[in-house]
Amino acid sequence: MDIISQLQEQVNSIAAITFNAFGTLQRDAPPVQLSPNYPEPASAAAAPAATTTATDADPTAAFPEQPKQLSADLVKAAKQFDALVAALPLSEGGEEAQLKRIAELQEENDVIGQELQKQLEAAEKELKQVQELFGQAADNCLNMKKPE
Amino acid sequence: MRVNHILSFFLAPCRRRIISEARNQSPSIFDHPRFPPLKRRMATATYPPPPPYYRLYKDYSENPSSAPEPPPPIEGTYVCFGGNYTTEDVLPSLEEQGVPQLYPKDSNVDYKKELRSLNRELQLHILELADVLVGRPSQYAKRIGDISSIFKNLHHLLNSLRPHQARATLIHIMELQIQQRKQAVEDIKRRREEAQRLLKDAFVTLDGQ
Repeated sequence: MDIISQLQEQVNSIAAITFNAFGTLQRDAPPVQLSPNYPEPASAAAAPAATTTATDADPTAAFPEQPKQLSADLVKAAKQFDALVAALPLSEGGEEAQLKRIAELQEENDVIGQELQKQLEAAEKELKQVQELFGQAADNCLNMKKPE
Repeated sequence: MRVNHILSFFLAPCRRRIISEARNQSPSIFDHPRFPPLKRRMATATYPPPPPYYRLYKDYSENPSSAPEPPPPIEGTYVCFGGNYTTEDVLPSLEEQGVPQLYPKDSNVDYKKELRSLNRELQLHILELADVLVGRPSQYAKRIGDISSIFKNLHHLLNSLRPHQARATLIHIMELQIQQRKQAVEDIKRRREEAQRLLKDAFVTLDGQ
């Protein structure tokens, strides 16, 4: 894929990582204690935690790892974007320089095209001459060979 | 024309029986129409008839100029299926889309620098959004608007690189073509010389005999 399309894909993937990260964090966040008046649901958590053994504890225990992983992904994607930007083959000179180069190449192409045409015509002429001579020689051969 | 269309629609299942009888075969079980009888049939569509101006091209093979020319290409704006389209493909500027332009509007903008600085801005805004969501969750809308305008600026910059890419591709193709033509000229010269040499050798051989 060309570099500009890769850059566009990278921008889109940065956006995707961002909204996926925020969505995941918002969905999986453990509840926060709003005020000291409301008791922490430690009693509610203790009873079901005893019944469901470790299967439920893993996501909540692993929760602090998620922002680290997601932010690492985001930074990696941003670094890759920077690397792609550095790899852009932007030849300085802008539009006019490019147009001038195109005009030069067009002239050179025309000159070469005319020379090619000339060579081609000369070669075809020689080919026709050779074919004619060959035909004459073959006819002479046929005429000289008299059936005995 | 419409009568022909309706007749062909109704005659389709009968056609097979007629054809098989014309071929002097007894109508077999495969000739029964696969669809239910007419009154219970759903509306199945046949192909539309060809446009009626085919009759103008009756003598095209004898006299190509007796038929009308194809219509000229459309210029300017045209309406297609109720939508307005324009024939000029131009990238609309950001102001026309109502998005604030975050990079300096200069004729020769340094793409790499601007892309990198926009990337950094984007990262900072994402961090700000994370902070806002933790502290003041109700004020997310402005941050999201900022982030989306940064993205739109990024994409607009990348899209404005496309004409440059097109010209660079054209230059590359022309250089390749010039190289190929030079190669072809060399080849033809070489072959001609070889042919001349062969003829001369053959001449010398014939003379020697």
